[in-house]
Amino acid sequence: MKELLTLEGVGFVYHTPDGETVAVDGLSFTVKEGEFVSVIGPSGCGKTTLLGLMSGLLSPTEGKITFSGGEKPGYMLQRDELFPWRTIRKNVLLPLEIKKKLTKENAEYADSLFEKYGLADFKEQYPDRLSGGMRQRVALIRTLVFKPEVLLLDEPFSALDYQTRLSVCEDVYNIIRRENKTTVLVTHDISEAISVSDRILMLTPRPARVKKVYTLDFKEESPLKRRKNPRFREWFEILWRDLNE
Amino acid sequence: MNKQGYSAGHVAYLKKRRRSAVAVNVARVAILAGVLGAWELMYRLGVIDGFIFSAPSRIFATLGGLFASGEIYLHIGITLYETLAGFAIATVAGSAVALALWWNEKLRKILDPYIVVLNSLPKIALGPIIIIWFGSGTRAIIVMAVLIAVVVTTITMLGAFLETDADKTLLMRSMGATKVQILTKLVIPSSLAGFINMLKINIGMSWIGSIMGEYLVSKAGIGYLIVYGGQVFRLDLVYASTLILLALAAGMYALVSLAEKLIVGKNRI
Ligand SMILES: Nc1ncnc2c1ncn2[C@@H]1O[C@H](COP(=O)(O)OP(=O)(O)O)[C@@H](O)[C@H]1O
Ligand SMILES: [Mg+2]
Repeated sequence: MKELLTLEGVGFVYHTPDGETVAVDGLSFTVKEGEFVSVIGPSGCGKTTLLGLMSGLLSPTEGKITFSGGEKPGYMLQRDELFPWRTIRKNVLLPLEIKKKLTKENAEYADSLFEKYGLADFKEQYPDRLSGGMRQRVALIRTLVFKPEVLLLDEPFSALDYQTRLSVCEDVYNIIRRENKTTVLVTHDISEAISVSDRILMLTPRPARVKKVYTLDFKEESPLKRRKNPRFREWFEILWRDLNE
Repeated sequence: MNKQGYSAGHVAYLKKRRRSAVAVNVARVAILAGVLGAWELMYRLGVIDGFIFSAPSRIFATLGGLFASGEIYLHIGITLYETLAGFAIATVAGSAVALALWWNEKLRKILDPYIVVLNSLPKIALGPIIIIWFGSGTRAIIVMAVLIAVVVTTITMLGAFLETDADKTLLMRSMGATKVQILTKLVIPSSLAGFINMLKINIGMSWIGSIMGEYLVSKAGIGYLIVYGGQVFRLDLVYASTLILLALAAGMYALVSLAEKLIVGKNRI
């Protein structure tokens, strides 16, 4: 598989008047085309910083990052960040407007995504009419609309209640697989990571270094099916033990 | 079930609400009528001195006279002109300065103490200087209104710009947005509520500016009439002019509220 995103000895330091914080230190990792990687680690360890580095929003203070994809990675945050003054459709078209690529063809692609993922009826509504789960689905479509090769998701389900989280996770996973996107998901939820990933990258407490990388041995299974698989518990125990040791 | 299909409980609820709204309005009118009635009564009974305290009947007679002679329209026109000009200039200039300060963080830091000092300065103290620089006409009064409103405008708008959600800004940057795009597609739309708040504050400030200005230096306007009435001890004129001022200010506030309804409704903020 093609190596899409390579980090070699990457470090990142925040400088503030109160002092400096080493958030990431000597981190090397490779994301391959088409895989689903989850990043787990204790809170405050540098996961968001790592995504920022992968997206190019932050430049490493040490080491090197190589991105061999075309379009910049698409970013999805904990909250959907839909603009309340724009309709759902206009929200989704925002990245195209910004990149000055709002062609008829691209707008039709956006509409096809709405159709495909059952949101066509809500296109002309404003975000405040939609439930949290639906809004997060719209946020995903907004990320997909400019056809990025890599998706970076920063705890995208953690603001949702448990029931919704499971079903939105299922939907998002299926959409991502169907659209064939390479994905890096940051989460603090071990079971969520097990239910969606090909590989899991576990980080140390701050500064973030690679603690361990796990390659999961599930066959192509949806998150809900994985949760019922007996291997799920075993993986959970391994990761739980390693994370807390 | 009635024709809208509401339950009996809901119909009762609506009826109760309507009744309570009527009661509130009745009470409001009653207070006004009571105060005016008591005032007039005390004047008629000789409890208060009509020369100093005037009376509703005398004020309305004076008002009638002012409008009948047509002279009042000139005064209203001039004061409205000064207030609206001050309001418009302060709004545009203050927003522009706020924009520049949002755009350039360095500039913002450098100018911060100046803005704080200018904000705390009682602008009326600049009256003599303004008169020397701008003469003793409407121009000086507009300058006064602008000075009083512009600093608050800058501070309010800058606050609104800077309150823009950090995660939304991050999202825009992840899409590759330029600073101009962040400004036009995110910062300005999300500051709309702050802009309307600013308009409401500004309209009050502009009234203070124009009336203060007319107190200091003027040959016409509602503020002039009030000062003149005081000087020649025609208190009926003072009261009548104040009443006109009240009506004008209320009218202007109603217009801003209407604008708010239209803008808020259209933009979902
Ligand atoms: N903009 C910033 N300035 C200074 N320190 C920061 C900044 N952002 C994050 N940090 C610090 O860097 C560390 C890692 O933060 P973050 O990457 O957000 O962790 P996580 O996402 O794993 O919770 C934390 O200690 C945090 O306080
Ligand atoms: Mg984080």
